[in-house]
Amino acid sequence: MAVLKRKQKTSFEGGGLVLFLDVQDAIKAEKVLKGAGYLVKLVAPPPELRKGCDLAVEINLVEQPGIERLLKQKDAAYVGVAPLKVGTSELLEIVKVTDFGDWVMVRAGNMKITFNRESGVIVNTSGGGCPDIPHLHAELIGKLLTEAPRPRDIGFTLCALMLDQALEECLALWQGGR
Amino acid sequence: MMLIAGTVPMKDLPLTTGEVSADGGFLVVDGHCIPCTQGTGAMVSSALAVTDYLKLGQPQVVVAGDIGEGKGSRSIYEYLIQRVPELSPDVLALHYILPDMALMRRVCDSVDRCARRPVMVADAASMYAAKAAGLASKFDIFTPDATEVAFLADLNATHPAYISRHLFDTDITQTPELVAAAYRNKSAARLLLVKGTVDYIVDGGRILETIAEPDVPELEAIGGTGDTITGLVSAFAYAEMELHEAAIIAARANRMAGKFAQATPATRVRQIIDQFPAVFKEYLCSWSGVCIVEGGNYNG
Repeated sequence: MAVLKRKQKTSFEGGGLVLFLDVQDAIKAEKVLKGAGYLVKLVAPPPELRKGCDLAVEINLVEQPGIERLLKQKDAAYVGVAPLKVGTSELLEIVKVTDFGDWVMVRAGNMKITFNRESGVIVNTSGGGCPDIPHLHAELIGKLLTEAPRPRDIGFTLCALMLDQALEECLALWQGGR
Repeated sequence: MMLIAGTVPMKDLPLTTGEVSADGGFLVVDGHCIPCTQGTGAMVSSALAVTDYLKLGQPQVVVAGDIGEGKGSRSIYEYLIQRVPELSPDVLALHYILPDMALMRRVCDSVDRCARRPVMVADAASMYAAKAAGLASKFDIFTPDATEVAFLADLNATHPAYISRHLFDTDITQTPELVAAAYRNKSAARLLLVKGTVDYIVDGGRILETIAEPDVPELEAIGGTGDTITGLVSAFAYAEMELHEAAIIAARANRMAGKFAQATPATRVRQIIDQFPAVFKEYLCSWSGVCIVEGGNYNG
């Protein structure tokens, strides 16, 4: 006799919530995200994170930038994204600058971009650890700061978002210094 | 056997496993050419430099293409969950894999089923997942940089983008406090190799050694020079060095390779990796007592 074995249910610990004003928006967003292959689930947000309705979509927080971009592309309304863990700080928005003489390195969170002070060409990116970072490294190196693709547009993860912040600061420094 | 797992920036590369070799500027696994650039490519290349030099078995790798969408990462997790007990590697090093706490938990459960527990190494997003899921104590070595050690010290952060501002604002002189917090929160592996202006080697919360020479600050700007340290320490652990010794020598070798390459912020990581054989030839024997003798064998 064949032994029936229940298929193991896929477990999910996302760490982030997409918040909505009404239930219909949450259901639409869940459908959009699942359709694109994201692992998500509908959950009740904790009271301290509730923005409008009693339904939220739990996501893998690391995938926040790719998920927000997709929701905007599909006109799926949402209020915001928040870490699920109470006590988590806001997204980092500060940068640090290191002067290497002919080169300037800008660090945002765990990500760094270095550009040539004279030409404005990106010579290196470093830091981070998400899978889109080596791809962005290849896409950015050798490009002018003003012509480089924006990591927030072609990346998918929080590392990409930090890299985008670094690029924003590089642009401000270079354009301000000309 | 040393097993290294991580994604590579080749969107269409399927899950690929096997022994890795070098061919010019590329790595070759099961007929696929993988670029030796920032990320798992740089990590594997530096591990290979060690195993080649010491005439050890070449690293086995499990890689998959992933540019951030997660599909390749999930295929690696599933491979590890299914196969690790059977493969039972001596060293298992996890690298650029999209953080997924539930899948990382299942990988660690699989490792628990190995006949002999491997030396567990995590860097990059695998370290983020291990910390976020509360699994840091399952690992023997983490290799964070200065920002990442602040992430380990932040009890609530699940990614370095969400660390507290006051922790991000710390400088390298405050690394000991951050390290202490990371161990207090049970967010650190047994051994930490903190990469920075000064490298810290920490075992169980005790700072064993700091390394500041040669001073090559440009290395911080070069994408992949943290990955090379992880590859080196993994391979030295595979060579059965004590873990703290493996970490100390990895940090020294990386700095020395930067010096040999006369690194600038525009240097590519490949140029650093190319220096490792010369660094090992000149220093490894005196640093570690591991000396290549006539006939190509080595004395440990």
